[in-house]
Amino acid sequence: MKLIDSIKKDFNTMTLVLIPVAIAINVVIGQIVVLLRLPVYLDSIGTVLVGAICGPWAGALTGTLSNIIWGLLIDPNAFPWFPVALFIGFVSGWCARFGLFRTWWGVIITGFLVAITAAVVSTPIAVYLYGGITASGSSFITAFLLQTGRDLVTAVLSTNFLVEPVDKIATALLAYAIIRGLSRRYLMRFPRAENVLPAESKK
Amino acid sequence: MVERLSFYLERSSPLHRLNPTTKLVVAFTLILVAFLGPGLLLPSLIFLLILTPLSFVGQVGREFLRTTVRLLLPLFAFLFVMQSLFYPGGKTVLFGFWIFSVKLEGVRFAFLTATRVLVMVSSFLLLLFTTHPGVLLLDLTQRGLPASVAYILASTLQIIPQMQAKAATILDAQRSRGLDTSGSLGRRIRALLPLVGPLVFGSLVDVEERAIAIEARGFRSSRPKTSLVEIEDRPLERALRWLCLLAIILALGSRLWP
Amino acid sequence: MAVIEIQNLTYTYPATSHPALREVSLTVEAGEFVAIIGPNGAGKSTLCYTLAGFIPHFFKGELQGEVRVAGQDIRRVRLEDWVLKVGLVFQNPFNQISGAKFTVYEEIAFGLENIGVPREEMKRRVEEVMALTGIEDLADRSPYALSGGQQQRVALASILVMQPEVLVLDEPTSQLDPIGTREVFQVIRRLAHQGVTIIMAEHKVEWIAEYADRVIALAEGRVIGTGTPADVLTDPRLPDYGIGISRYTAVARRAAGEGLWPAERRLPVTLDEAEAGFRAVEEAHAHLH
Repeated sequence: MKLIDSIKKDFNTMTLVLIPVAIAINVVIGQIVVLLRLPVYLDSIGTVLVGAICGPWAGALTGTLSNIIWGLLIDPNAFPWFPVALFIGFVSGWCARFGLFRTWWGVIITGFLVAITAAVVSTPIAVYLYGGITASGSSFITAFLLQTGRDLVTAVLSTNFLVEPVDKIATALLAYAIIRGLSRRYLMRFPRAENVLPAESKK
Repeated sequence: MVERLSFYLERSSPLHRLNPTTKLVVAFTLILVAFLGPGLLLPSLIFLLILTPLSFVGQVGREFLRTTVRLLLPLFAFLFVMQSLFYPGGKTVLFGFWIFSVKLEGVRFAFLTATRVLVMVSSFLLLLFTTHPGVLLLDLTQRGLPASVAYILASTLQIIPQMQAKAATILDAQRSRGLDTSGSLGRRIRALLPLVGPLVFGSLVDVEERAIAIEARGFRSSRPKTSLVEIEDRPLERALRWLCLLAIILALGSRLWP
Repeated sequence: MAVIEIQNLTYTYPATSHPALREVSLTVEAGEFVAIIGPNGAGKSTLCYTLAGFIPHFFKGELQGEVRVAGQDIRRVRLEDWVLKVGLVFQNPFNQISGAKFTVYEEIAFGLENIGVPREEMKRRVEEVMALTGIEDLADRSPYALSGGQQQRVALASILVMQPEVLVLDEPTSQLDPIGTREVFQVIRRLAHQGVTIIMAEHKVEWIAEYADRVIALAEGRVIGTGTPADVLTDPRLPDYGIGISRYTAVARRAAGEGLWPAERRLPVTLDEAEAGFRAVEEAHAHLH
């Protein structure tokens, strides 16, 4: 019962209004990144942000709904990848709870942990639904690994481990930069602000 | 960038008039059958004999086919090249050139994967082309989807076009001030930050007022909610949904006991 | 009967050191139209949020003193019940659109759905307020595809439809163009005539002079004047506090300096009073010659 109550507390009205904005940030920045032909996705900045200041459950919901919105609006191929986004929000929420969002190096660790999780969760989806080859450029790495005799799961997983950290560390750092740009008074309106506020002002 | 609410196209077709949940259940059923069912040709038959004719019944046939091709053609091209050359279990060489050889197993696998993904994407597209997102959310809320989730999805769909418009304005303004959005990788990375800042902070400051506005309208009321609109659901559709369940069980059975 | 009573209210927002409101006391009677004036940062919005229950329930922070609506203590009443008694409309029309609905008609019904009003009654009430606010022709439009004035009337309708006992308006026209401002004020005037209890923070003193029953002047979080528009709006200290005065008052004050305003007469706040005053001067002059 305690767990349910604490989850409920995370979903106050501020959280419920922040989530749509966070999803819109995911989508619009994701599109700008495509427009600028950058070699990253950066489509989960909002998810990490919500995870950090509203808790892991709100982060997980943001990730999940983000993929649903991407599917509704841009490309239904996004739907089956929702578990990846769910875990991105969930893991960044837990990292923030362990104090990793108070320093920039903690944020880099968060980005790395999120990347590992994303790599593991996306592998079965890529393998089962798409046979390991998706439309992204990283599939060349997968093909190369297959050619050198690795089995499919190993090849996809290794590719993900190679590709994910850069994107997720950049994502986490951008989310951190946003949090640093917000006032203390503003942040305090969110249920898990204490996770990101510097230790000395905790009182 | 596209500034629209969803793929929805307003038409008056029998497909548009179906209950949204019925369409959702049918879409899921076709996808599950395509992925679980037997045979190399099943997914392509589902697309050709069910989804394509249905899209014309829904008066969205042309847009349906065009969007399906646009979304999937690059993936399919990639899939066929990569799988026919690198499929791990490939033995039967169809033909070879330079250091590459195209294998039959790879081509078969690429075909099956591609047609399954085709069914997945096009089933959802057909649902989205013929269903207003608001109506779908309303129907799902009446069937137990939490109101907060429906609120998040509906307001996200309405915020995104505005943020896209804002992004386009900022992008134009930055470009006219000499910001380079083509150029080298380094330049493009440097172009990203002045864009993201105004966009993100501008939308985050509104959150507090928007929260107050919806609380002022009883959003957090603990009373049972009512609904302005009632969405029609006919017995025939209910029967169709049970049939879908049966189809899923059959497909699952064919997978478990071949 | 007093609908709202505030006694010795001092309120400090979280993470700030100075109170936004200091020792504020005021009473609002049923059917009254009370205007709140004051420079930016005087605490007008804070007072509006308090009246509407968002302080302390939403903003938290430290509240001393007493706030009562219909005799009940604000701390004892849940926000979800308070908002049914006191409706709030604020400056930015865009932020008041819920986002949950795709047409104006549904947008206005949103609050009624939330509090569980039956469908038939909901439709009747929605159509009533749409007529009252003059937005019937917008029913099927997207609430996001409207002008600021139209959006603000939708926001007003969305609150009125919930039939609150008191309506709190926080500078409802400050972000609108002149046309939008006129449209919104027309609706507020109609509500005032119907006897709705209204509390409005507003800069436009000429408008207040004409319609408010009572004016409360705030500066630096304190009440510096309260009374009829004629009393408060002619207070010579107002410009010192950065509060704008009516142009009729300004002209008459200048005239009084030149001896061109009847000495026994109070300075005017409306056009009619100014005209009456200057006519009296004219007659007096005609008498002399």
